[in-house]
Amino acid sequence: MDRFVVSRSHSEAYHSYRRRALWLSTVLICCSLTAAAQNITQRGDKSAPFSTRATHLLGFANAKNNSTGTLSVQNDSLQFQQNGKPGTQVKIGSVRDVFLGGESKQVGGLPMTLGKAAAPFGGGRAVSLFAHKKYDTLTLEYADADEGIHGAIFQLAKGQGELVKNELIAQGVTINSRKDQSTKESATEAKHENK
Amino acid sequence: MKTSKCGLSIAFVTALVAVILALPGMLPGQTAAAKSSSGDGISAARWSVQVDQVDPGNLELAYSFQIAIYENLVEELKKTNQFQQVFRDGDLKASEAPNLLVLKTTVEQYTPGSETRRAVTTVSGATKLTVRSQLLTREGKVVLERTVNGDVRFFGSNLRATHNLAHNIAKTINQSSWSGSGEPTAILTGQL
Repeated sequence: MDRFVVSRSHSEAYHSYRRRALWLSTVLICCSLTAAAQNITQRGDKSAPFSTRATHLLGFANAKNNSTGTLSVQNDSLQFQQNGKPGTQVKIGSVRDVFLGGESKQVGGLPMTLGKAAAPFGGGRAVSLFAHKKYDTLTLEYADADEGIHGAIFQLAKGQGELVKNELIAQGVTINSRKDQSTKESATEAKHENK
Repeated sequence: MKTSKCGLSIAFVTALVAVILALPGMLPGQTAAAKSSSGDGISAARWSVQVDQVDPGNLELAYSFQIAIYENLVEELKKTNQFQQVFRDGDLKASEAPNLLVLKTTVEQYTPGSETRRAVTTVSGATKLTVRSQLLTREGKVVLERTVNGDVRFFGSNLRATHNLAHNIAKTINQSSWSGSGEPTAILTGQL
């Protein structure tokens, strides 16, 4: 009888440890995934170039539209480098204006959209309710060698747009009197979504 | 009877030969017609266009939308190959172009949409844009004036409306009866 009690308590302790270990590993995996998903902003010391993860939507030099890469400010130029490809750059002196905006977008891209469309009983719609994320949009206006006006739009993680803008201002970019539309835009969109 | 049959067959063969001989004669005519129409294309290509920045009018249109319309317009107009050169606003080389038209775009209506709302409901949350596009000569004569719409109703981000709008503007200019001969025709006003 005693033997039975001992073995039972051993088994319970074993199960408890196993549960804790499982819980701990789950937390660790979640943390590592979150850390990987977060945009990296490297700003260790002031001399190091500023860089952040960004999605180029359109217009920046010869960069491909809707491509993800690293946006960095270094050597008096704003550079966008796609993963594993040579970067394209624009002189900071040619940047005439910077605007911040905000937008809420569905996450997951085309695979997620197809998955949601294929989900039965409108399950995809329910997923859409939660599968959206807010982003900053950074709009730049710059001039080329012939003074022709160009515009570029980048999509960054929430809060990163302000950092890039501040960095550009620190590098000498003058901001036009037109106000940033991030708050206004977000408010409009929120109002529209709540309807 | 036999002779009439023989005569008929001779006539048929003669007609066939005549048709075969006549066909190559017709083909050069068609080619010439095609050439002449492509010749018109060349005369149209003598014109260059300068795309001005988008005027938001009295509307509170996000600056990213204004820039996106402008950039997409430049791209779409380049794609049509209708113009010899497509200049950007402020381009110094535009002043040297002999035949220059200026494309002005004024936003008339803007309905902000929501990608989430589109994904959830399908029928609502569309982003809609309506603009007035004017093609002017250097002297300010209006050559073409159209009201064009662009929207995104189902899939895609809100900025996709700007791409659709620019595509529609380029298509309107391409399909319009504006000759490109140099003489501004009567003002064409319409809606796409």
